[in-house]
Amino acid sequence: MKTNYLLPNRFKLIGWIILIPSFIFGIFLFLVFEFEPDFLNIKLFAFAKESFNFLTGTTSKEYFTFVETNALDEILALSLIISALFVAFSKEKDEDEFISKIRLESLVWATYINYAILFFAIIFIFGMPFFWVMVCNMLTILIFFIIRFNWLIYKSKKTVKNEE
Amino acid sequence: MKNNIKVERAIKNITQKQLAKSVKVSRQTINAIETGKYIPSTVLSLKISDYFEKTVDEVFQLEDSDWK
Repeated sequence: MKTNYLLPNRFKLIGWIILIPSFIFGIFLFLVFEFEPDFLNIKLFAFAKESFNFLTGTTSKEYFTFVETNALDEILALSLIISALFVAFSKEKDEDEFISKIRLESLVWATYINYAILFFAIIFIFGMPFFWVMVCNMLTILIFFIIRFNWLIYKSKKTVKNEE
Repeated sequence: MKNNIKVERAIKNITQKQLAKSVKVSRQTINAIETGKYIPSTVLSLKISDYFEKTVDEVFQLEDSDWK
């Protein structure tokens, strides 16, 4: 089937190869140990930044400036998003209209679940924990989609195998 | 929508896999159509009928529930 909005099939494998290590690395090194290797302390251009002055106890906003930061979280976030997109939106080997239907259904379903969770987070979670919910929210829609889509594909493949 | 793909396959003595290959879809798709879980597009219905050398309404029929 001709679709111009999906990546070629080989991107799926590339996606998994980047996604799994980034995911494990992201959870363990960054969230658990707050790992910040020195060689990744670099100066980056920032459209907007906010800094806290410990002496005066005030925050100041600056625009179109440079910021000294550890780039590990930027690299991880980008590699997670790109690889999750690769996994989610690469063609199946035999992409056809039935698989497209499963894809669409899974995407709508993932969007519902994602916003249902966000809905509860808005009501019940405040302050920094809410910030972390929003950080996770960058990826949850893609992750829910990947789980649901692959589960349905696996199930339909299993049904076919059982009938042999 | 009902279909008698399974019967037509039996007459021609071909497997779901062979039919899937001929009309260029996955095996899951043929399986889902046969079990009534998926309604094929017009193009795919025409291709399947064409493969069996039948007209579309010989292979696919409307059901009462399609009108509800």
